[in-house]
Amino acid sequence: MQISLDINGSLRDVYLDPRTTLLDALRSHLGLTGTKKGCDHGQCGACTVLLDGRRVNACLTLACMAQGAKVTTIEGLGSSDALSPLQAQFLNHDGFQCGFCTPGQICSATAMLEELAAGWPSHASTDLEGPFPLSHAEIAERMSGNLCRCAAYSNIVDAIQNAAKDGDAK
Amino acid sequence: MSLGKSLPHDAAPLHVTGQARYVDDIPLPATALHLAFGLSTIAHGEVTALDLSAVRAAPGVVAVYGPEDFDPVPDCSPSAHDEPMISTGEVLYLGMPLFLVAADSHLAARKAARLAKVSYTEKPALLTVDDALAANSRFEDGPVIWAKGDAARAIATAPHVVEGQFELGGQEHFYLEGQVAACLPLEGGDLLVHASTQHPTEIQHKVAHALHLPMSAVRVEVRRMGGGFGGKESQGNALAIACAVVAARTGRPAKMRYDRDDDMMITGKRHDLRLLYRAGFDDRGQLTGVAFTHLFRCGWAQDLSLPVADRAMLHADNCYHLPHIRIESHRLKTHTQSATAFRGFGGPQGMVGIERVMDHVAHALGRDPLEVRRANFYAPAEPVASAGGASPPGPPEDISEQAIGAGPVPPSPDETVDLTSRGAVEGQPERGVAPASPGAQTTPFFMPVEDFIGHELVARLVETSDYAARRAAIADWNAASPILKRGIALTPVKFGISFTLTHLNQAGALVHVYQDGSIHLNHGGTEMGQGLFQKVAQVAAGVFGVDPYAIKITATDTAKVPNTSATAASSGSDLNGMAARAACLTLRDRMAAFIAGKHQVKADAVRFEGGRVRVAGESYGFDQVAAWAYLARVSLSSTGFYATPKLQWDRKAGKGRPFLYFAYGAAVTEVVIDTLTGENRILRADLLHDTGNSLNPALDIGQIEGAYVQGAGWLTTEELVWDGKGRLTTHAPSTYKLPACSDRPDVFNVALWGRPNREDSVGRSKAVGEPPFMLGISAFYALSDAVAACGPGYPALDAPATPERVLAAVQRVQAHV
Amino acid sequence: MTDTGEDMRSYARPQTLDEAIGLLAQGQHRILAGGTDLYPSAGMQLDGDVLDLTAIPALSGVTHGAGLRIGACTTWTAIAEADLPPALRCLQQAARQVGGRQVQNAGTIGGNLCNASPAADGVPPLLALDAVVELSGPGGTRQVPLTHFLTGPRQTLRATDEVLTAVILPDAALYGQSSFEKLGARAYLVISIAMVAARIQVTNGQITKAAIAVGACSGVAQRLPAAEAALTGAPVAEAAARVRAADVATALSPIDDVRASASYRIVAATELVRRAVTGALA
Repeated sequence: MQISLDINGSLRDVYLDPRTTLLDALRSHLGLTGTKKGCDHGQCGACTVLLDGRRVNACLTLACMAQGAKVTTIEGLGSSDALSPLQAQFLNHDGFQCGFCTPGQICSATAMLEELAAGWPSHASTDLEGPFPLSHAEIAERMSGNLCRCAAYSNIVDAIQNAAKDGDAK
Repeated sequence: MSLGKSLPHDAAPLHVTGQARYVDDIPLPATALHLAFGLSTIAHGEVTALDLSAVRAAPGVVAVYGPEDFDPVPDCSPSAHDEPMISTGEVLYLGMPLFLVAADSHLAARKAARLAKVSYTEKPALLTVDDALAANSRFEDGPVIWAKGDAARAIATAPHVVEGQFELGGQEHFYLEGQVAACLPLEGGDLLVHASTQHPTEIQHKVAHALHLPMSAVRVEVRRMGGGFGGKESQGNALAIACAVVAARTGRPAKMRYDRDDDMMITGKRHDLRLLYRAGFDDRGQLTGVAFTHLFRCGWAQDLSLPVADRAMLHADNCYHLPHIRIESHRLKTHTQSATAFRGFGGPQGMVGIERVMDHVAHALGRDPLEVRRANFYAPAEPVASAGGASPPGPPEDISEQAIGAGPVPPSPDETVDLTSRGAVEGQPERGVAPASPGAQTTPFFMPVEDFIGHELVARLVETSDYAARRAAIADWNAASPILKRGIALTPVKFGISFTLTHLNQAGALVHVYQDGSIHLNHGGTEMGQGLFQKVAQVAAGVFGVDPYAIKITATDTAKVPNTSATAASSGSDLNGMAARAACLTLRDRMAAFIAGKHQVKADAVRFEGGRVRVAGESYGFDQVAAWAYLARVSLSSTGFYATPKLQWDRKAGKGRPFLYFAYGAAVTEVVIDTLTGENRILRADLLHDTGNSLNPALDIGQIEGAYVQGAGWLTTEELVWDGKGRLTTHAPSTYKLPACSDRPDVFNVALWGRPNREDSVGRSKAVGEPPFMLGISAFYALSDAVAACGPGYPALDAPATPERVLAAVQRVQAHV
Repeated sequence: MTDTGEDMRSYARPQTLDEAIGLLAQGQHRILAGGTDLYPSAGMQLDGDVLDLTAIPALSGVTHGAGLRIGACTTWTAIAEADLPPALRCLQQAARQVGGRQVQNAGTIGGNLCNASPAADGVPPLLALDAVVELSGPGGTRQVPLTHFLTGPRQTLRATDEVLTAVILPDAALYGQSSFEKLGARAYLVISIAMVAARIQVTNGQITKAAIAVGACSGVAQRLPAAEAALTGAPVAEAAARVRAADVATALSPIDDVRASASYRIVAATELVRRAVTGALA
């Protein structure tokens, strides 16, 4: 079927089987290979993209279901010339080793910082009323849906903390 | 000077923007075929009928290949030629490929592969160590036994003896990028292969062999892997061969990518084993004699199991001088996935064994395990004058002439032997035993330990981690805490660096300087996240005195550097850094000679620094000198070569010097367990690790942290379970539990030892890929310590120490009277 | 790269419930209510027509009326963020432990129930809240207690032409305080070895009502009547001591599987019940 997706600010028309996942649509039909296929089971987070600013696993989302939503992928967050604050901090803090989980980590962290700005509680928050200091434990819980087999977690957490600080400073 | 700087990965801007390209991201022509294997559903038996008609008829299917379509079926083994790409009729494990489907989409191939009608005659499967022992099912004729001194007598006459046995689980690599390869047919039957592999030359060799082509007709390119960890040393062979076969037969590009559960069902994992020990010791806990038996479950094919099991024996001593030791190693053949290389390559398994002995001895004596460990340490290294400082990248020296000693003439080449595989142990010439350094203590394999820094390193870590005070505080805390118990352990690491198949310790590089001064670097190592490319670029930049970012790092390519060894055994920077350095030195010497000649001074008066070339009071841009050298018809391209010196090893006898040097480290881990549920977590880890003069401290610290978490994961949460039919039931991330961000210790202090390697390695650095993995062992023995706080018995933990096993151990020590 | 050659199936995303029921009446559909459970289990076998319920406004959100009504397509994130009485804390805690955030943003409560995994995080809290599910089909609407709705692992009473439209928590279940405990080999992102929800009502220092449910320890999550009876009437201070392994074990038929052995599950579940009860009383 013919569907139309709003991806990174531009409308893309694509013809595909309605059972095609958003992940396969991005990678195989739209040439956006920054979103990675890690497990295809919604467990590793490598395929994380943003739907209307909220993070979802693209492998668990049918492309059809994303119609009408604004889809943001790693390619839409920034470019080498204009890195997003999180991208810049992942670079500064070596927030990766092999890099395969990195696009998903950055998309997920982007949404996470938005969630924090909106003041949503997490399971690790001791106080359900907020405010939420961005501790390592807090980040770890909020980022639990993104696995890194190289276990570059320390640097990932550092990158996110610093990006959050930058955001607060603004 | 670019060495020793914490520069980020060369591809960092690409990674953070999603532009870094992995094999599955490479655009292929629309005609490309996508491949999938159909898998067996039994562990052992014969295929009596393979009806593929429904597969052939499925939508999108272009071709289906069964065993009758090959003569013979291509072999994928890196060692014993015992791995047909698809079964030839005999099924040897559940998940074994039976046939190959090529379709016009990945999904179509996968769906079609499920439509086969397969009939089997099922046979009893050997799934466990006990099954295999009972059937005497093994690789090699019998167990490998290495002995030094008289362990039996030493144990028999010892004041005290402990003995026991435990199970040590395997580990799934779970490289986040699964196995993948693609092949493009070129003119004249040549092939270009893109593979996610640690061993491009092995892929080249196997593809050439499968298609009866010379290796020169196959080019393998590897830009990067999304993680390897040893799982891409040999396990990618089948995919690359399948792609090549289909590309050659159809003339269309072919790509194969295992889905995650296929990857976990088909490919090998870390070897699990049962480990038996018996040790005699004195009142101080000093071991007088120790005997180990390793019962390795190797799976259905030999793969790299022999050198893996060898390396477990080579690390059965860890940091301890054991004058009387006997190690018996069984390499058992079972009807399960073929266990393979995984970070540490058997070393971690061997090391967990001797650390278990230390833990058990300390428990028996009621002493701090750290005291027992220290009492058994090797003697400290004698200071060596030549190891005093960093080795600068000059003056020029011709490393390539450092040929290894005149060994015996190797056997004449056999084209079927995988000369560049670690599995090719049979092709290894026997070598004499290296003369022992007078007075130096030797390992169980008679290698003098000349560089032991464990005493000082552990002393520093004891201080920085506040070990003694925390141990006392934990005892107090436990006394007041009935349900939660804490534990702490310090374990050291000594890990041997070099391939134990001596001839693999060689590397090549190719460096070009272009007329505009830009530099193109290529070497035989592959990048899988360890930062090898960045490190080698820093070595090259150091030689030329230019900014590391001026060095263009390019994909590993068998057409540029031939006959490469796997990027494995932690050797990537050691070997390729030296080879690249040699190539760069050759080019720099040519440029220096040229510019010195113009100024009528000696070449060694020319300085390359800060992107400038300084000679006779003048300063020129590097690019200017490159242009002039071109105009003066000076060759600006060079290869470089390196062969590790000093190595001599006889694996059959278990004697010699298999390693150039040892890398050291130590870790203190503190844990807490819940004695009512067995749940546990790491509270704090302090790591101190020896990377010599670090080539790049940031990358090294990243490697150390990641390795620790992965090592601790192996021994705690990562559990592989097979059912009674041989089906791996933990074949998805929902059931196989990798460490997540929250499993990183709350307090995580990591430091580098910071002293130069005694051996003449690149920049006096030390290899870092594998050694820190074994720092994770401290988490396991911290759990043992916490369990020991629950009662008088010895915890005797099995690994991985899941909540269930921890709870069982708690109940065991409580029941002990 | 294309999926040519495959029969194209239809995808429908109705805006109203009537439309959805009408489509279901026309033939077999795979119902999508977020897709996080369905796609991994169905995977590449996601054949047939797809009916996506997530665009029907009436199926999303929490509304108060006679009891509390949670639309079937309410996401875990929406539940976690909703302003709900303390009795529902166990459900909100469970909502934050369903996979990672990515899954919580897409996964729905109705999907979780219809998928009927023995380890579904949402089930024990809903059992402790005496949940009733509402099913709508061509013949009208019916309400079924959750305990009856779940008939076995991956099996429910939902007819193929019915849509689970809402989960209803009766007024009487909205009292007291509750807590959720989950045990796994890793803190987050695991399918559980055992999990417990407890809802406790207290009057004058005495437990007047206890509702306890255990998941992942049997084919279908279970309430624990014997443990609840032992707690009823107990002084708060004695609550944890009243939880006995035998009372837990009688209600369960734990499974030996890849995640844990049956005997370990009983021990762990008993301890989790104590903790959930203590947590609810805190």
